[in-house]
This record gives sequence, C-alpha cells and structure tokens, in this order.
Amino acid sequence: MTAVTMDGVSRWFGNVVAVNDVTMTLEPGVTGLLGPNGAGKTTLLHMMAGFLSPSRGTVMVGDQPAWRNPAVYRHLGLVSEREAVHGFLTAGEFVLASARLHKLADPAAAAAAALDLVEMTEFKDRRIDTYSKGMRQRTRVAASLVHNPQVLLLDEPFNGMDPRQRMHMMELLHRLGGEGRTILFSSHILEEVEQLSGTVQVMVSGRLAASGDYREIRRLMSNRPHVFAVSSTDDRRLAVALMAQPSVAGVELAPTGLTVRASDYGGFTRSLPKIALKEGIRVSRLTPSDESLESVFSYLVEA
Amino acid sequence: MRGPPRLRAVTLIATQSLTKVYGGRVTALSDLTLSVGPGVVGLVGANGAGKSTLIKLLLGLIPPSGGSLSVLGLDPTTQAADVRARVGYMPENDCLPPELSAAEFVTHLGRISGLPRTAARERASEALRHVGLYEERYRQIGGYSTGMKQRVKLAQALVHDPDLLLLDEPTNGLDPAGRDAMLNLIARIGSEFGISVVVCSHLLGEVERICNSLIAIDGGKLLRSAEISTMTTSTDVLAVEVSEGTDELGHRLAAAGLPPTREGRLLLVPLGSAPDAAYDTILAAVADLDLPLHRLEQRRHRVAELFAAREDA
Repeated sequence: MTAVTMDGVSRWFGNVVAVNDVTMTLEPGVTGLLGPNGAGKTTLLHMMAGFLSPSRGTVMVGDQPAWRNPAVYRHLGLVSEREAVHGFLTAGEFVLASARLHKLADPAAAAAAALDLVEMTEFKDRRIDTYSKGMRQRTRVAASLVHNPQVLLLDEPFNGMDPRQRMHMMELLHRLGGEGRTILFSSHILEEVEQLSGTVQVMVSGRLAASGDYREIRRLMSNRPHVFAVSSTDDRRLAVALMAQPSVAGVELAPTGLTVRASDYGGFTRSLPKIALKEGIRVSRLTPSDESLESVFSYLVEA
Repeated sequence: MRGPPRLRAVTLIATQSLTKVYGGRVTALSDLTLSVGPGVVGLVGANGAGKSTLIKLLLGLIPPSGGSLSVLGLDPTTQAADVRARVGYMPENDCLPPELSAAEFVTHLGRISGLPRTAARERASEALRHVGLYEERYRQIGGYSTGMKQRVKLAQALVHDPDLLLLDEPTNGLDPAGRDAMLNLIARIGSEFGISVVVCSHLLGEVERICNSLIAIDGGKLLRSAEISTMTTSTDVLAVEVSEGTDELGHRLAAAGLPPTREGRLLLVPLGSAPDAAYDTILAAVADLDLPLHRLEQRRHRVAELFAAREDA
C-alpha cells in the first residue's frame, strides 16, 4: 500500500506560480485530478513523477522522495499526455523494452502479464502504427504497468478515445484501483470522473481547492442550499407541508413538479419520506439537481 | 443575424447506399443509407467507423465509390462549390494560422466564400461576437487558448451565414467551463439562429444534452438513427439512493418483496406489476429506518447503452 504525499508543495516558473502550497495525500484506489486549463494539474503530476523539482515543500512516493531518486520508478508508472510511441514497434516489443529497461528478472513474462492486463495480448504482434487511439493508449498503460508499480499516474488518459474505448479504459482503471493500487488520473470530462471515482482533488489556479469525495465536498458547502426536484400525487399540499419544515428554505410550485431548496441537507432528506407518509402523498420522484460533480466543480471554480 | 426567411429543405442530408473504398482495399463506408432532418444532430461512432469519411463526402472533398448523396438538395459530387457556399465546416484538428488575428482570418475566409470586402469584414466581426470573442479578435491567434481557438474555428464556419453546420469534435481539449460555453453556443445556434447542426462527438453525455436526434455509425454501416428522446425513455426500474444505510434498506426492501440490485450507491428496484405499491413500500421503508433519502427516480435509458449492448454481443 503506497500512498503519495505532498507537503506544502509549491512550484514556480520565473514569476509564474503554477502550484501554490499544496498539501495532499493520495490513498490507494482511483482518484480524479480536476481543474480548469492552467490550474497546475500537469505540473503536479510531473512533480509526483519526479520530472520536476518542487520549488518548496516535499513530494513523497511511499517513504521516498520523488525528486532525484530513480528508485521511485520501481513503484511508480506514468502515462503522459503527449502520445510518444514508436510506430515501427509492435506492442509486444514496446512493452518488452520497458520491462528490460526496468531490469526485471523475467522481462518476457512481465511484458506478457502487462499486455494481458490491458487486454492487448491478441494484437501484440501488430505494429503500433496500425492501432486505433484506444489500443495505443492501452499499450502505453501496459508499458507503464510492466514492473507492477503500486502508483500509476495518468494525464488525460481518455483524450481522443471513442465511447467503447472509454468504457474499456474505465473498467481497467477501476480494476487496478480495486487491487489496491494508487491511481491518479486527470480529466476534463466530469461525467466520467463521476462514474469512475467519487474521490477527487480539485485544483484551481495552482491551489488545492478541495479534496475528497465530491458528495461530501458538496455537503460542506453549507452556504449553498441543496436543490431537489420533487414530483408527487399532490404537489401543492406537499409544498405546504414542506414549507413548515425548518430545514426547507424555499419551495417553488410548477406544473412539472416542485423545486425544493433545503438549507439543511440531513434534515430535509430524513423528513421528506415521513412527511409524505403522514400526509398520505405518494412521492414519485426525488432528484437532486445540484449534487453532480459538474455543479460541485463549478461552485468550486467560481468561488 | 438572419436575412428574410428562406425556404428550408426538410431533408438536410440524404445518402443512398453510399460506399467509399480507399485504394481498392480499405472500406470506410459500406452501403450507408440515412437521412437527416433539421435540428441539432449528433453523429457518433467508434474511431475508424467512417465519420470523417462521411464529412469529406458531404463537403464534396472526395468522390464516393458507389451510391449517391445529397446535401440541402444538392449533389456534392457535381455541385461541390454550391454545397460549400451553404455549409459551414469546423474541422477537428488545429488548422489556424498563428500569425494572423482572428478578425483577419475570419474576414479572409468570408471573402473566399464570395463576400465582398466590406461585407466580409462586417460579417466576420459579427460572427466573432456571436462566439464570444470581442477585443481579443485583433490579437494573433498563436497566443490564443484552446477554447479561443475553438471559437475562431466556429466563427469561420458561421461567417457566410450557412444553412447547415458540420462540427467535428467541437469540445475537444476544452476544460469544463469551456465545454459548457461551447455546448450552450451550439444549442443556441440550433434554436435561435435556426441553423441546423451536425455534431461529431465521442462524448455521449454531450450528445444527449444538446442534440435532438442521433446517428450512430459503426464499421461504415448505420448502427442506429433515432430521436434522442426515444433513446432516453424511462425504464420500469426505480433508482433509490440513500446517503447512509444502503445495506439496511436493501435488506428491508428484499424482506418486503422488492429485492433490489446494488449498483454503486444506487439500489435498483424493479417496479413490477404494482408500481404504486412499490413506491409506497420504498417510502415507508426509508421513513421507518430513519434514513436520508437522496434520490428516488425512474431510471432512464442512456445513449451509451447503444455501445455497451454491442460490446456484449
């Protein structure tokens, strides 16, 4: 179980502060790294991978520093954003070369296992330049997994993939995370992050704006009422009953249903079923309107 | 932005047994027959399914190997210039000259479309304003962010006031705020300007959000062509989510004769023959266990199922 920890890490390029005083711990499992363009995500990943020195603070992979320490690469794999693979090699040759570079005891077996993990065994003898984008991406993941690292960092792994390839990649990352590896991936597609992992690290202009499960992050924004859409057999009577609740800040009645703004999340969600039962109203729909990662993210970025 | 009302073709794009074979060996499209009506249409398919080939054929850039096609009632193989006069195209790749300003570039493309110099300049500035580029339009494109470059590409597709827009991966490389802005813009072009739009995208959630209908192609063949609303109909499965005590609720529902299946945080309850009673049972169980009810809604079909189902097959 290897965790990645950053303690008070800053990185500046001349006058530009790319990463500003970030402290975070990555636990085993899948974590999404989010942020607008230019928020410092790639800089952060590169510091974790030992490509950049932190201007201040320390980055540790397990109990070892990431910077100037080639030994971390025994436990760490990186899939960079830029796609640089040799088209004239086959996937088998490419992954075997990575295995040899790591001086593994049995490079052929390690390469075969890694290719098997990403489901590329079938195609391993074809040249990489005949592959689709998703196959190339999986080959690169295999190459970075060949030494069985506990930590895997991926920069925009879904870029350019089609729906089926995305599903494949998500399943793969999910499985790797389930095996107890620490996996961090950056992405702009919030829907996918939501499907893959509830745990996020959100960067906004170089700072760590939030970290943890996005649903819990949402609960912490107590100054924003939680908005729910509700439909029932008698919307008007339900609206009256809900208005009497201290946990409800406002109710709007529309032909399509109610919009309820709850100031106290726990209070409202516990009392709604009881109120409906007491009033004899059947609730046919309760949908949280601003609980998605998308809305949590936009609240964080605009704040 | 629009002139006097014009007659609009009901069928924007129609193909009949359209086939394209490259070099006599690689079949990119085979026997594709489809018709596209007005509105915002999503074009989806795996990499290599033939989307780019279809766009090139529609623009009259390459001739088909077999079959026929028409765009706005014109045949791109013989009337390519007429088609391009009425179609705006936003390519996927980065193709902007870095040393020009957006205003110069879009004006130039307006002139290529046949607009006189002054009209081109006016139209360019209008198109750039529509996509949300203001003072920046006099700066060199080389210094633009990805989001601004995508906007310039969209503006040049709009400059000659087309009837149809072909957008290839318009949200590629954009961050969440940029994506959101671009999607709103496309939806507005469809609804307010009355320009029909064909959007190629890999992000099915995006397609669900802005498109009225969808065309899915796979391996050069038509996989599905349908209204989005028919693909996102509700199912007879109820999704229940509680913020805590999911297992407890699961056991309780199973005991009450509604055995749920667990999917992440959700409990999926089949509505069965007595849907009203099922709602009551769930509500009573949640109230009795004193659990916070987060979500209770009928599941909807997702466009993504189109691809998931095929993977199993």
